[in-house]
Amino acid sequence: MSEARRSGIRFEEVTVAYDGTVVLDGFDLTVEPGEVMALLGPSGSGKTTALRAVAGFVRPAAGRVLIGDRDVTGLPPHARDVGMVVQSYALFPHMRVADNVAFGLKARRTPRGEIAARVAEALEMVGMADYARRHPRELSGGQQQRVAIARALAVRPGVLLLDEPLSALDARLRSGMLAELDRLHRELPDVSVLYVTHDQVEALTLADRVAVMDRARLREVGTPEQLYRAPRRTFTADFVGAANLLPVVGAPGGTVRFGDARLKVASPAPSAGAEATLCVRPHRITLGEEAANVLRGTVTAVQWRGATHRVAVEVAGREVVAELPETAEPPAVGAEVPLSFAVRDGVLVDD
Amino acid sequence: MLVHSRKGRWAAWICFAVLFVPLFAVPLLVIVAASFATNWSGVLPSGSTVEHYAAATRGESLAALGVSLQTALLASVLALVIGTWAALSAASAARHGWVRRVLDALFVLPVAVPSVVVGLAVLVAYSRPPVAFNGTRWIVMLAHTVLVTAFAYQSVSAALARLDPAYEQAAASLGARPWYVLLRVKLPLLLPSLTAATGLCFALSMGELSATMMLYPPDWMPLPVQIFAATDRGSLFTGSALAVVLMAATSLVLFAVSRVRTRASYR
Amino acid sequence: MTETRPAATASPRTAPASTGPAAPAASASDTAERPGTGAAPPRTRGAGPSRRAGGSGLRLLWCLPPLLVLTVIFLYPLALVVVEGFRGGTGTYREVFASQAFTDALVTTVALAVGATVGCVVLGFVLALVVAFVPFPGSRGVARFVDVFLSFPSFLITLALLFVYGTVGMANGLWTGVTGAEEGPFRFLTTPWGVLLAEITYFTPFVMRPLLAAFAQVETGQIEAASSLGARPARIVRRVILPEAWPALMAGGSLVLVLCLNEFAIVLFTGAKDVVTLPMLVYSKAILSSDYTAACCVATVNVVLSVGLYALYRYVTGRAGRTGGTGRSSRRAGALA
Repeated sequence: MSEARRSGIRFEEVTVAYDGTVVLDGFDLTVEPGEVMALLGPSGSGKTTALRAVAGFVRPAAGRVLIGDRDVTGLPPHARDVGMVVQSYALFPHMRVADNVAFGLKARRTPRGEIAARVAEALEMVGMADYARRHPRELSGGQQQRVAIARALAVRPGVLLLDEPLSALDARLRSGMLAELDRLHRELPDVSVLYVTHDQVEALTLADRVAVMDRARLREVGTPEQLYRAPRRTFTADFVGAANLLPVVGAPGGTVRFGDARLKVASPAPSAGAEATLCVRPHRITLGEEAANVLRGTVTAVQWRGATHRVAVEVAGREVVAELPETAEPPAVGAEVPLSFAVRDGVLVDD
Repeated sequence: MLVHSRKGRWAAWICFAVLFVPLFAVPLLVIVAASFATNWSGVLPSGSTVEHYAAATRGESLAALGVSLQTALLASVLALVIGTWAALSAASAARHGWVRRVLDALFVLPVAVPSVVVGLAVLVAYSRPPVAFNGTRWIVMLAHTVLVTAFAYQSVSAALARLDPAYEQAAASLGARPWYVLLRVKLPLLLPSLTAATGLCFALSMGELSATMMLYPPDWMPLPVQIFAATDRGSLFTGSALAVVLMAATSLVLFAVSRVRTRASYR
Repeated sequence: MTETRPAATASPRTAPASTGPAAPAASASDTAERPGTGAAPPRTRGAGPSRRAGGSGLRLLWCLPPLLVLTVIFLYPLALVVVEGFRGGTGTYREVFASQAFTDALVTTVALAVGATVGCVVLGFVLALVVAFVPFPGSRGVARFVDVFLSFPSFLITLALLFVYGTVGMANGLWTGVTGAEEGPFRFLTTPWGVLLAEITYFTPFVMRPLLAAFAQVETGQIEAASSLGARPARIVRRVILPEAWPALMAGGSLVLVLCLNEFAIVLFTGAKDVVTLPMLVYSKAILSSDYTAACCVATVNVVLSVGLYALYRYVTGRAGRTGGTGRSSRRAGALA
């Protein structure tokens, strides 16, 4: 849309507590103008609280929230200039679609003539122009979702807050809406988006950067590739994609030792004798000895999963899982097999 | 289903009918039957007449219906305003838990206090200067307002508690100030509950007797008092006709309100 | 109608007795404005948290107008009743407490209320059980009928009973018709039993309402699971349904107890000279003998009794709102195996 108001979001040491329970603890994060930032974490990790602190529905016990260069910590929600879409959509049931979309404009006393044009524009953008006269109850979940987005965008907010916007949709609609959201953001490159989700696929698909949260704290921030390929923390490695997390010990020569095997990894190796955790993605492990790092063990389980075979191998008393392309002859349970992975696929992670 | 055998189910139903019909259905039917009867000394009433209704819809009795309707209308509207305002302000004071609890306790107190005592209290307080309401219609209306405000407060409070806060928050995030949210989102969404509350208050006020007996002046005699007066002097059949008029008026209002509600409910 | 009297609408919240600084010194200027408008803090940039606290304090002012109205029309009169009772010291109280009429009224009131409550709870439970779990064509109509019943005044029941059990009513008419006797045997209407019957009839729906709501929460899956495990209906009622409905039953019961303590119209319509309850005593002292001081004494006792019980009711319903999850009930189903 035309008015370019480039404003990011900044959390400065934001702490939120309910009845003595800290639900957000010293949260520090900057969302650049125009950036899509996903807050990813399990339920109770504080991600929704962080979003609600931006919207103004929770009041931080300490810290500041800035939108652009404006400190909004003490501002009531209506003065914050954000657009918000929640899981339940919260479309006003007593208003038609067009009136829902016009609500924010009317509340802000936008001139009448302008309202109609902007409502039409917003509905056009989400492909709901034909439904302007309907009531929300006459729409499907996906359509309600689009209207909710149009309603939030109609006021041309500098910041768009999306709280689990796709979790009420079924899987097929969800992937469609993901593509849609991606397109919308390309059309509105100046809007900063804070996207709360517990679904890693949504976060990895949509976000420029992902902030991984756990137990009221920020664990790690990075681009989807960074978090997936080279997570720095155990929690991230485990939560974003599947991971083999193996206890290793630093060995001489910049290597680590796992059981009897000496492995070369991409991360800087710990000093000799120091303990560390190695993360290897199951689908980066192959059967055989082609790659640099080789592990040997006994097959304990084989599962057929359609496109892949999931093979569990016991190595040095630990279970290592390999996600292999489906083969006609998977290894048999009890067989001794070699597994290998490349140097760049082994990453050391902190707790 | 709890009882699977056909026999058992019939036993349960018969047991239900034996208890329910004589206790709840028969009394109302009896009143209706009596209102058309000239005499009742056997199992069934004898003689049929509409004379009682003719009596019930003229003179004093008609006036009593008018008095009741006016009183109930005024009391329920006032109660709705006071109750809704109190419930809304109690809900918005959520951050101060004690304020909310105090309001809750004070506004439902009239439910716990015997109506007769409410009547006595109003009589004692407003029979002396500076406000001597005693012997006027206003003291009756005042007492009715007190009695039904508690129900209005409870209905609206319960409806507010059920209202999804997401609507209010979505509206606020779109830039709507609190009063705009109240007028455009909250009150419209509460409309079905508000009309229900009004209907309830109206019905309760229509049937109020206890406090009214303490307060009514000769020129402002509501229908229940008239019914009592009739039965007290032995005119049971006239009393029945008046009671049917009362029930019919109440039901009509409740029905009208429920129609408004269906139209107003969006989900 | 889905909203009815407190049985259904009382918010599940504990209400402590009316304490607290409900300062009625409201600024008169507030009453002139519309609700909600003052709660909007001005839109200022870069305001600190202190602003927000100010706005929330302002918000509290909106409680004052309705509170002021309530104080004028109800709280102040109620306080006057208590004060009036003490006019001339505690003499009137001593007199009232010493009188046989008061003692009789107190005993009658409590006995009637307890009896009626027990009757309502038992009857209401049985009837609600059938409506909810042995549904028949029209059982939903019964639920609606209960709603309508609740909105009618109580004295209609007494009026109807006069025709059913009165000296020349249905029952006696049937008796004299069958036996040829001069008079029928039913003449309990002007005794406490008549009042008891009327109160049970009128107040049973107050128990049924919350019970039907609670029964709607019991999962049919649980009952099916229990009966598939071979549990007989009586056992299912005892082990699955009753525990689930217990809070609602208690809540309905204590509400009925309070309402019975306060009931006046039913007693008035019975016209029995020997059934005098506390509200009846208040009425006769004030209106028939114009002894306002004594009326206020009796009223105070009645208020203390009812409000105390009502506080208990609110406490019970508050607890009922917090407990009663599905987790607990599914464990119940397991306990049957």
